[in-house]
Amino acid sequence: MNDLYLIYKNMTRKPLRLFLTCFAIFIAFLIFGAVTSLKSALNSSVELSADNRLVVFNRINFTQSLPISYFQKVAAVEGVKDVTHLNWFGGYYQEQSRQIVSLAVDPESYLRVYEEIVIPDEQKQAWFNNRQGALIGEKLAQIYGWKIGDRIPISSNIFTHKDGGYTWEFVVSGIFKGDTEQYDTRQMLFHYKYFMETQTFGNDWIGWMALTTDDPSLNEKVAKTIDDSFANSQSETDTSTEKSFNKAFIEQIGNIGLIIFSVVFTAFFTILIVVGNTMALAIRERTGEIAVLKTLGFSSARIFRMVLSESLLVAFIGGLSGLTAAWLLVEGIKTFLARFLPNLILDGDIALQALFFMLLLGIITGLLPAFNALRLNIVSAFNRQP
Amino acid sequence: MGSLIAQIISVTLMNLGSLRRRLWMSLAMVLASAVVVAILLAFLAMAKGFEETMRGAGSNQIAILMREGSSTELNSVILQDQVNLISESAGVARDANGPQVSPELYVIVDGIKKSSGTEANIPLRGLNQTGMAMRTNMHLTEGRMFVPGTNEMIVGEGVLREFSGFEIGKEVRFGKNLWTVVGVFSTGGNIFESELWADIKTIQSHYNRGSSYQSIRLQLDNDDGLASVKETIAREPRLNLEAQTEREYFASQGKQLQYIATFGWIISAVMALGALAGALNTMYTSVADRAKEIATLRALGFSNFSAFCGTIAEAMVLAVAGGLLGSLAAYLFFDGLNTSTLGGSFTQVVFSFEMSPDLFVQGAVLALVIGFVSGFFPAWRAARMPVIVAFRHAT
Repeated sequence: MNDLYLIYKNMTRKPLRLFLTCFAIFIAFLIFGAVTSLKSALNSSVELSADNRLVVFNRINFTQSLPISYFQKVAAVEGVKDVTHLNWFGGYYQEQSRQIVSLAVDPESYLRVYEEIVIPDEQKQAWFNNRQGALIGEKLAQIYGWKIGDRIPISSNIFTHKDGGYTWEFVVSGIFKGDTEQYDTRQMLFHYKYFMETQTFGNDWIGWMALTTDDPSLNEKVAKTIDDSFANSQSETDTSTEKSFNKAFIEQIGNIGLIIFSVVFTAFFTILIVVGNTMALAIRERTGEIAVLKTLGFSSARIFRMVLSESLLVAFIGGLSGLTAAWLLVEGIKTFLARFLPNLILDGDIALQALFFMLLLGIITGLLPAFNALRLNIVSAFNRQP
Repeated sequence: MGSLIAQIISVTLMNLGSLRRRLWMSLAMVLASAVVVAILLAFLAMAKGFEETMRGAGSNQIAILMREGSSTELNSVILQDQVNLISESAGVARDANGPQVSPELYVIVDGIKKSSGTEANIPLRGLNQTGMAMRTNMHLTEGRMFVPGTNEMIVGEGVLREFSGFEIGKEVRFGKNLWTVVGVFSTGGNIFESELWADIKTIQSHYNRGSSYQSIRLQLDNDDGLASVKETIAREPRLNLEAQTEREYFASQGKQLQYIATFGWIISAVMALGALAGALNTMYTSVADRAKEIATLRALGFSNFSAFCGTIAEAMVLAVAGGLLGSLAAYLFFDGLNTSTLGGSFTQVVFSFEMSPDLFVQGAVLALVIGFVSGFFPAWRAARMPVIVAFRHAT
């Protein structure tokens, strides 16, 4: 009779209880996995920001535009490597609900500033040479089944076309990828010049600028130089790192996110406490048997190991199955939620955290009963029996 | 019959009396159901508060017109001649000053959130006297109205609560322009309280908007007013506008947080399953613990049914105690909690969590369901276990 067999027998003596305990742990980790993935998806834009990239917005608010003349002035600032400008187009495809992240950009400088964009050279050249051309991100192309050479109508919920209506026609010149899996490629990029020539209002204004500095250590100096040079002008600027801008933007969604996550985590831990209590009780009930094992000559250390293994086993059976279910769930809803949360994945970090909590649950619930078993005095244990 | 009830009562009392013996298990069950109820209530209170903020804003007597194809005011552009055209339409109410039409414009400005210290979007809305008069539920709680043509503004109570630096008399700088806060207004807790209001002409000139606007609000003269306005738009090609009542507009803007309520129900339901597993464990243990007692009772002539009811009653009492605890916690932590989030127009909507009585009812129902289900199966087992077996296993 080896230890494993004993552990197995102990664990399954009340199959219903084992099932219920594992099920509760399963649920707790299912929720943990799913909600943590949601949370990290929300924060992913912060994680992915380049260290030496700055954004320049109108000081009033980032929805206000800047004069295009600012572009050359910023390019001349010392420490600025490359700079590009972007306009938010407010695009959608056929229906309002199918919003597309679409930006009117200066093509060549854009690709220099956003180095994470990976695109074959001939497609790049084709885009530069075709004023009506657009670069489409891989995921976006997948969603609508667009291929190179397709003519696609994109409408704007902000701008009107000179010819009337809100719809622009673009030609797909290239399809780009990101250099990491997490890079959001549900974007569309097109020529600023084409946009300027064909819209009815907003001429010679740019939405914002993005620039890279020669070195991240220059960030602060460059930002200050830019903001100082436009101080007291018609449009003052606010320059910040891409990271801090993205962070501030997420905070706009507000403490709602924080409240939801804290509520869910409290619940997660409470369920663990409730389950842990049951698990600890299941072992406490067996004080008499442990005394018998000791009488039979089992060493205290061996009993300690057995008790702890059992609780760890229960924690991992429930936890791992819950985590797997969470992974399946996340994979399943990924495409469905892609429009709001592009980076929804249950990654290694989350899995590690979950494993850590499983270990913690197993140890905490097993440790106290295991210690009791270790120190158990055989005579008093038998006395305790009714 | 009377004796059956007496039996049930005495079994129940006995069960409850022996709870102390199973203190930790019982507490676990109370805690489990408390958590589930608290989560549900937190989500529902959030959705409820947001909904109230949105709903209170909309009137059926006011139409809001935006450019065709733009779903929010922010994206819309309307020109002066369009305003003139629509003012002449049938269906628009008139008073001594002419048609009651309010062309409005807003720009998004930055405020500093008190909670996080970071910048967040607030709308600075420009409107005229008519627009002000149209908002019948608006009143100044402090200070005075801004003087048209000056850089004075009044701030909503929500802005005052959630953002710093908008107290009366304070000067606020947006870009090059310095504004003075001269008054605080309330609109009965609805979304307009998340805005700053100032004179429309001043905003147009400060922000290079020429004579353009983003939306037009019309007072409708009767219930068919909207139809008449829509007819005018259809007839006149220069009016590429869409008209809807203000109520419809805000209802559609309020949709997004409804997803949070749904999300809350799903999470609570899944959590409830987990808690149920814990509760069932508790009750099975509780029954096993008392197997001998139950067997004794039945040997004495108590019916199976009374043993069954006693166990269910025990489970329900524990679950309801948990439900009460959870509701209390949710009430203490969440009721009236102020928060804000990005709304449909890309600006902050300030709202409070609202714990209304019907939410408590939903929480109580959930607790009862947990109690009943977790009591039912163990009770069934207790009632059906042969007396002999129970005696044999109880040692």
